[in-house]
Amino acid sequence: MEYRRKPELQDRLAAEFVLGTLRGPARARFRRWLREDAALARVVDRWSARLVPMAQAVQSRRPPARVWRAIEERLVGTMPGTGSGLWNSLAFWRAVGLIASGAGAVLLAAVTVFVPPAPQPAPAPLVLRVPSNEFPASYLAVLSDPKTQKPMLIVSARRNSDQLWVKALDRSIHVPQKSLELWAVMPKGQPPKSLGMLSREQKTMLPLREIADHSLADVPMLAVSLEPMGGSPTGRPSGPVMYTGPCVQYW
Amino acid sequence: MSAPDPLAELLSACGRGDRAAFGRLYEATSAKLFGVAIRILRREDWAEEVLQDCYVSIWSHAHRYRPGLSAPMTWMTSIVRNRCLDWLRKPSLEVIDEDGSVIDNALSENPGPLAELQRSADASALARCLQALEARQRQAIALAFYDGLSHAELASHMRQPLGTVKTWVRRGLLRLKACLGEGA
Repeated sequence: MEYRRKPELQDRLAAEFVLGTLRGPARARFRRWLREDAALARVVDRWSARLVPMAQAVQSRRPPARVWRAIEERLVGTMPGTGSGLWNSLAFWRAVGLIASGAGAVLLAAVTVFVPPAPQPAPAPLVLRVPSNEFPASYLAVLSDPKTQKPMLIVSARRNSDQLWVKALDRSIHVPQKSLELWAVMPKGQPPKSLGMLSREQKTMLPLREIADHSLADVPMLAVSLEPMGGSPTGRPSGPVMYTGPCVQYW
Repeated sequence: MSAPDPLAELLSACGRGDRAAFGRLYEATSAKLFGVAIRILRREDWAEEVLQDCYVSIWSHAHRYRPGLSAPMTWMTSIVRNRCLDWLRKPSLEVIDEDGSVIDNALSENPGPLAELQRSADASALARCLQALEARQRQAIALAFYDGLSHAELASHMRQPLGTVKTWVRRGLLRLKACLGEGA
């Protein structure tokens, strides 16, 4: 390629590429060279460092909230460096239900191992009196980010209580102008049931319709979806699934 | 530039898949980048679409960001400007200077963003070097950079032959480089 032997031409093309006056087919061709030529890329980096700070002077304008919503929707299920995938489809929810009901035993083992470091559940009205050094008989779930596997939330309810406690392990889970909604993923492809919205506090108490032994006994998995403020308008998860985890009986 | 840039930390967290960091990165940078896109595209709906694409791209390429090679804002702004220029290339789109604001901005004595630049300590050397250019060179470079004008558009807006504006741009860039020094 001719430009390689002509550093001045190379420099000029890089400068005009960064400035924006290199256009049309010439720009496209230059970009192909850039991908293959690390030295040329460095020339462009130097020109970028010179010129692009001019952009600091442009008047800022806050984009409308729909831009962020659209971005989030496009990111669901993606990781840096990977293609995109959708977690918020009906197929996903069905699959989660099926997997969860089938793989309960394995998941139970995994979660039980995780239980000891879990904090004590927040005080709920005592239905059963239990020795203080023993973890009370409870339904437990550790919800993690499916991509990073990082545990993000602990959900617990004593089996005879109608209070479900949610503790956020990472407070940065909340997104401005959005709500996080907790769902019981039901077995056999039944639609998920809402358990309520997470507060922005570290701990949230969600009242169950019936005591946990009735409302959670058949629930293989819990999940949290990102919803418009105040919760899903449809009664079903409408936004991306952020965190999931098996729901197990600990006693 | 020696103090760790918080944006660089957010970007590297994004590279590890940290969605919360991505939210903070968006909070911190989207208004500036939206401003850049609107200025070039002059249509908010296009700018919104470009911004969306760019943040998806920032997320998926964050693991490739190398702090040593470019400042985070430079890296992200370049993504947005490139996308805007590609957008303008679509043959179906004709950027129309409906209200003549591009020409007005270009021809007015008020340097607009350039004056703003002088107030920014980070970019003061750049502002000084831009001021040191001949007025026509400075104007051509500002129109190309801020408004995304091509050589042909520059020629028509500045009412000069194509060869003349190309020369202004080229000489202006060379003088800027010399003024900023190789280290810039």
